[in-house]
Amino acid sequence: MDRPHNNPAHGQNEAVNLHLISDFNLDTLGHSLANDESSPRVGITSAPFGQVFPTLLQARSDPSDFALVWTLPEKVIPAFEEALHCGEVHEHRLTSELNEFVHCLQAAQNHFRAIFVVSWTLPSHLRGNGVLSMRKQGPRRLLLQLNLMLAEKLEDCPSVYLLDAQRWLEAGGKNSYSPKLWYLTKNPFVPQVFSAAARDLKSAISSVLGNSRKLLVVDLDNTLWGGVVGDLGWENLRLGGHDYVGEAFLDFQRAIKTLRNRGILLAIASKNEESVALEALTKHPEMLLRPDDFAARRINWNDKAANIVELAEELNLGLQSVVFIDDSPIERARVREALPEVYVPEWPDDKTLFASTLGELNCFDSAYATTEDASRHAMYATEAQRKRSRAGVSSVEEWLLSSGTVVKVEEFCDANRERVVQLLNKTNQMNLTTRRLSSQELQNWAQPDNRKLWAFRVSDRFGDSGLTGILSLEIQSGVAHIVDFVLSCRVMGRNVERVMVACAAQYSAALGLEELHAQYLPTAKNLPCLGFWTSSGFARQPQDNLFTWSLRQSYPFPPGIEVGGWATVAGGSASSPMPGRPDPSLPVLTS
Amino acid sequence: MNTLNDRPKNGSSRLDHVLKVIYESVSDLNQQLAREQRIEPSPATVLFGAGGRLDSLGLANFIVITEQKLDDSFGFPIDLTENDPFSPATGHFRTIHSLATYISDLISSRPEGAVR
Repeated sequence: MDRPHNNPAHGQNEAVNLHLISDFNLDTLGHSLANDESSPRVGITSAPFGQVFPTLLQARSDPSDFALVWTLPEKVIPAFEEALHCGEVHEHRLTSELNEFVHCLQAAQNHFRAIFVVSWTLPSHLRGNGVLSMRKQGPRRLLLQLNLMLAEKLEDCPSVYLLDAQRWLEAGGKNSYSPKLWYLTKNPFVPQVFSAAARDLKSAISSVLGNSRKLLVVDLDNTLWGGVVGDLGWENLRLGGHDYVGEAFLDFQRAIKTLRNRGILLAIASKNEESVALEALTKHPEMLLRPDDFAARRINWNDKAANIVELAEELNLGLQSVVFIDDSPIERARVREALPEVYVPEWPDDKTLFASTLGELNCFDSAYATTEDASRHAMYATEAQRKRSRAGVSSVEEWLLSSGTVVKVEEFCDANRERVVQLLNKTNQMNLTTRRLSSQELQNWAQPDNRKLWAFRVSDRFGDSGLTGILSLEIQSGVAHIVDFVLSCRVMGRNVERVMVACAAQYSAALGLEELHAQYLPTAKNLPCLGFWTSSGFARQPQDNLFTWSLRQSYPFPPGIEVGGWATVAGGSASSPMPGRPDPSLPVLTS
Repeated sequence: MNTLNDRPKNGSSRLDHVLKVIYESVSDLNQQLAREQRIEPSPATVLFGAGGRLDSLGLANFIVITEQKLDDSFGFPIDLTENDPFSPATGHFRTIHSLATYISDLISSRPEGAVR
């Protein structure tokens, strides 16, 4: 079986640079990463080993670069080395030396897109005095303390991530530390450790780049439960109970529910009678995943690839956001062939391995966790309600007028920074330039007076979609340039796009500027953004995808949307717009 | 995994067995190498020295992987660095065949029953 976490379509064609900073020889890891042809490709530069502190303090890299800092605890914390040799060590010395290391990381964080720091480990033979190794001054206990202190101190560094090396050592087995390699090459780890580290690092880089998968589509029969519900009836499915296979399926459902709680959307693609399958999901007493846990479903006898395309469209997601799990190798092969952007992990026949195989998938890893993630399912449930409501009115325009949409505009600030950075780095479809920046980079970018960055929160009578839009402006030579124009797929097609552009136009006009420009940079994923700008009313320079608006003419706010907070944000230079009549020159957007 | 009892004792079959272990090590090592650096699992493949595919770091990794696999396969540790592997005078890391012969000789020279 292929490794389940091999994720070939993940963020295609991207390339990044990674600086290796270490107090031992990391060339084997560098080779593993550089020779891995999966995306993102990683170019490697290495600082001379043993120069960790000066390298961090003098870091002056391209701010789009990444850094890996992998150190041996006894090298960074000399007091710990003394403890390893049974010296008496005062805790304040350990803390002081740890603080020095953290200070260097803090100094370096502004010079890298992200820094990955590897947690400290010890070879198994450094076991101290056996039974006393977890007592005060015992090396294992001190190591736990140091790692915990390091994690706590790095909490305040949003672009510094502490990676768990223990998993990598487990991949290397009992011989993960090799004294022979240490003496031969000044590297203590066997190659298997670096292979595991390389996989996690690629995943971590992908997470920071915003390439995490967002939707898990699952089959039902023999995937979520044992047996075929259409043949057996829901009462006879193997799920839970005193049955090892039933317990394995229940644990698999629990693992899926964990993903849901992390903000991953769930959907069903199953060949079944819908009423029969829904009866099982609703009535089986041990069913952990209920119909409401799924943001969308296609339970019918159609081709699964076609169903997956429909599911992605319904949820406004690109196929590159989708993972599909099915016990049938034929269905997996079909979806792989028809939809190469969808990630279809190879799946074990052994049901007892389902939960652990799901746990091994790294394609859902995200570098950003916000309150919006936890409530994403509720938001999509609201969106489903919204769509049902839309179906009941005669036109989309009429529906938009009746939806009671409120857009609240706010300045970029500490309170919204984490969500803004997440949105900037994760949004693919409605994204003008697909600019990816770390929290620190974005804050630095927004500092000069000729730049503005606003965040947009969207709600309507169905619910609150949260902070879902970003627009940033840069003013140069009498022209306002839209640098970032980002809108979550959750609220696309509801005229929020127009509100954002109207805010930018009104603000720029109040400054006496003559033109507003938007330069569209195409990617494989942002065609919907081109669609918006093409219908935006802006003049288009066809050669270079430049969209322009003369500020002698006001850009109308769309009707039926209340804009809150704008007068405050615009600094009194712009009046708060009110809902008005539709402008016949601007077509109403549809999703 | 072979156990001590079923491991081959005859000279040529032992050499074949050692070659098989070396090829498995080559396969593991190749996973970390760029396509153009990968090693052909063949007795004539030059490993180290003039025209060899491995630099000193690659050779060190290869040694550690091979020692582990030999231990798993034969049931006792075999030290491939008793003589300096990086020295041109040593020579047993020159080709896969020379390495297999060297390992086979090391196994033959062990006292019967000297297992861990």
